Amino acid sequence: MPDLAIQTQGLRKEFRTRRGTRVAVSDLDLAVPAGGVHGFLGPNGSGKTTTIRMLLGLARPTRGTMRLLGEPVPDRLPAVIDRVGAVVESPKFSPNLTGRQNLLLLSRSIGVPDTRVDAAVETVGLTGRDRDRYKAYSLGMKQRLAIAATLLKEPDLLILDEPTNGLDPAGIREIRETIRGLGAAGVTVLLSSHILAEVQQVCTSATIVGHGRLLASGTVEDLLGGSTAHRLVVPDLPAALAALSAAGVPATEQDGALRVETDDPAAVTRLLAARDLWLTELTPVRADLESFFLQLTAADREDAA
Amino acid sequence: MRGLVRVELTRLRWRRAVLLLLLACLVVPVLIAAATLWDTRPVSEAEKAEIRASSTQEIARCERKPRQYGVRPARAETRCAELVVEWQTARRDLSLARERTGSGVGVAGVLVVLLMLTATTFAGHDWNSGSISNQLLFRPRRGRLWAAKAIAVTGVALVAAAVVSTAYWLTMWATMRARDLPMLDGALTDSLAQGLRGAGLAAVAALGCYALTMLLRSTVATLGVVLAFGFASLFLVEALPVSGRWEPLDNAAAVLRNGTEYYVDVPPSCYDGRYRDRPAEGSTCDETRELPGWQGASYYGAGVLLVGAASVLSFRRRDVP
Repeated sequence: MPDLAIQTQGLRKEFRTRRGTRVAVSDLDLAVPAGGVHGFLGPNGSGKTTTIRMLLGLARPTRGTMRLLGEPVPDRLPAVIDRVGAVVESPKFSPNLTGRQNLLLLSRSIGVPDTRVDAAVETVGLTGRDRDRYKAYSLGMKQRLAIAATLLKEPDLLILDEPTNGLDPAGIREIRETIRGLGAAGVTVLLSSHILAEVQQVCTSATIVGHGRLLASGTVEDLLGGSTAHRLVVPDLPAALAALSAAGVPATEQDGALRVETDDPAAVTRLLAARDLWLTELTPVRADLESFFLQLTAADREDAA
Repeated sequence: MRGLVRVELTRLRWRRAVLLLLLACLVVPVLIAAATLWDTRPVSEAEKAEIRASSTQEIARCERKPRQYGVRPARAETRCAELVVEWQTARRDLSLARERTGSGVGVAGVLVVLLMLTATTFAGHDWNSGSISNQLLFRPRRGRLWAAKAIAVTGVALVAAAVVSTAYWLTMWATMRARDLPMLDGALTDSLAQGLRGAGLAAVAALGCYALTMLLRSTVATLGVVLAFGFASLFLVEALPVSGRWEPLDNAAAVLRNGTEYYVDVPPSCYDGRYRDRPAEGSTCDETRELPGWQGASYYGAGVLLVGAASVLSFRRRDVP
């Protein structure tokens, strides 16, 4: 397997509308390492689904190159598609057929035995309901069926676009466990989601896009790394603030406490204690993906405006 | 490719709307056959007795004045009753030759329309449900997917139409034999051949409708275009100085009957009395022109080829929702 499961360079997609040309994806360089679960984050309309649709040959790029599992696509897509499972946007099946019939049609089109349908149905917990008509399924069941369809191929790469949409909390947990399990088993998963906590819990690396452009990419740790913020509580806040400022330690007052940027909290403790200012609380402020994402996309919105 | 065609045949088989339309392809011709056989049934003795009983006044009037009825007085006693019964049971005998221009055309027309609906329903459902994108995630070679679906639709249409048409004509033939009616040599062969030509026309129509649906990505839009084409071509041929050779129905008739005639306008001078006899075939004053079967086939073949090419190109290039 190549080092990168997904790679795009200068990927661009323009849509012609009555009002002119709309750029959905703008010169996107995406690099998804092989193995593990990679988050693909971005606000609505940021070009995530369009990028996925181009990777899977459902939409043509205006320009740029793409590779899936090392093969250039769309030219060599038929050669790799049997190793790629995907759910794009909402699940799309024939409503009057049963879930099982829908899966059988897909499995037979790639020549896999019907027994794999049973296994996939069991994996996503649809056993017993697979002979119901698809139109009678809840949204959560439809999502499970879509994931079952991706498992028919026993893929090396899974591309999941908002796979937990419409699932109940138990279903969300099951799907997350499934995704984690697949990642641990060596399957590369590209998880497009707007649920940031989900990405933070499940993914090892992530790419953040906004307005069709790459905003940040790397391991989740790297993206969140570098945070030196601490929450500090002392009885005399103004005196502590003055002492820290005098010592050149960045600090601001926030919600009845001080927010201090430092990579040496012990030094801060010593500094304040030397001025008879005794701490009642010192807590590292945990960076989360949501803050990072909001910070990035807000800046991007300002740039776009 | 064979595997893909098999999958598409299964998809066809599992679609309820398709099955209902195929069932209609069987039921409607059965009803047409039943109506034809009923309309041409021999008059039974019971019917004759009933008519005689209800027409005693008419028979008596004939017996009183037989010459007014064209009956010789010597035969009035027997002939008048026969004559009145004949009048009231003026029923034609079953004839393969007659049915080839009557109910046989109706059966072919019904098959063409129903199989066009089958094709557009089948393809339109894939677009309407969005399942076409799912199919492409498993089989991304778009040209092959298009072709597999086309082969399945056309094959099913051809087989269904051929079986129904053949069964129809064999039923007519068997009934004629059972009724001991005279039959021209080769009448059955001609009828079966017409049935198969009709089946070919239905299959081509189904293919055209499938291709149009794949191009327009909607069953409703396809039916709209087909209806608009039908009406527009009829009116345009009437309104514009366009030869009747381009009329869709004449071309369909040419395929079905392996050649037909269409009417053309002739100069007014043709009606000034110079021609007492029928004008020579193909002359300026001849109002009819030959439209051979191959020309009708080319007319529809070219149309389907154009739509098919546009459909394949569009399916291969356009983004799929």
